[in-house]
Amino acid sequence: MRDYWLSKLCFDLQEPARVADYRRDRAAVLDRYPLKPEVRAAVLADDVAHLARLTNPYLLRYYFAAAGMPDAEFIARLRAGASDPDAATAGG
Amino acid sequence: MAELVGVYAASHGPLIARDWHRLPDHLKQRLSAAYGELGRRITETGADVIVGLAPDHWTNFFLDNLPALCIGIGEEHGGPPEPFMRDFAPDPIPGDPALGRHILETALANGFEPALSYRLRLDHGLCLPLSRMTLSRMPRIVPMLINELEPPMLSYRRCLAWGRLLRSAIASYPAPARVAILATGGLSHSIGEPTMGAIDEDFDRRCIDALTRGEEGPLVDLLEHGAARAGNGAHEIRNWAVAHGAADCRGFELLDYLPAPDVYVGCAFAAWRV
Repeated sequence: MRDYWLSKLCFDLQEPARVADYRRDRAAVLDRYPLKPEVRAAVLADDVAHLARLTNPYLLRYYFAAAGMPDAEFIARLRAGASDPDAATAGG
Repeated sequence: MAELVGVYAASHGPLIARDWHRLPDHLKQRLSAAYGELGRRITETGADVIVGLAPDHWTNFFLDNLPALCIGIGEEHGGPPEPFMRDFAPDPIPGDPALGRHILETALANGFEPALSYRLRLDHGLCLPLSRMTLSRMPRIVPMLINELEPPMLSYRRCLAWGRLLRSAIASYPAPARVAILATGGLSHSIGEPTMGAIDEDFDRRCIDALTRGEEGPLVDLLEHGAARAGNGAHEIRNWAVAHGAADCRGFELLDYLPAPDVYVGCAFAAWRV
């Protein structure tokens, strides 16, 4: 299943102007999306493994690129999440 | 009457544009040679229309409206929105509404149910190969965008059937037109998954072997059972399957294959026997 509003956030952040807004004031941009509290917390914590279970992988990549995370760190966090049995069962 | 003058395929990847200046020289040379050879061949055919088979990278569609396949029947299409494609020209891109509509109507008359759009934006999936091919002139484009990002998706057998449908639609188009088909995407790659950066060279080579031999059943078996394990980017091989069907499964000439971790993609380039 996909979390619609998380996915919408990722989708919208393909626009460079919105990326600038997001990097300037992340909380203000998040306020525009009715995210579940645990999803918002995962976004604010850059919790790649948790968010990976909630949205499309391409959208996830767009999101973390917009958030400024280098590919190498993004990939490392994806792999750590995949090999962590606790992460694999949390938040489904 | 229209004539199918060629069927081609080329991989794409954002890093081939965004990080071009950082790629190793040998990789840039191989990629440039492969795209250039495709461009030379398409130019030689005198194609005035290209039917472009490509994924939509969350450019036109989202989870609230996601067609399995959409045909662009507009007079023009928007150019790529990605910042790393800002030098792509022309924008807008000329369409061919009459041919697009003919393909759409032929599909609907034969048990296929595509969506339609009068204004698509064509992202790097189609525009990157078009730009790297350095065509002497830009043909009109009829895009056929296939959902290859969000499951469920068209089966590979259905993609072959779509290809045959496309071939018959071009053959029955009453106006004079020289039509080429360009499939983009694939082969193995993985985006936003733990395997991101991995390339399944063994899968790619088996896929290339089946396409080269002009197989149908073994190709479908390989793709239905193996593509999903070759990374989510391998879903784009659906475009190659449509092209294979359009070429009547006659097999192709591989122009180049290079597993390129620098751009995260198993890159392949091919021209079918039509």
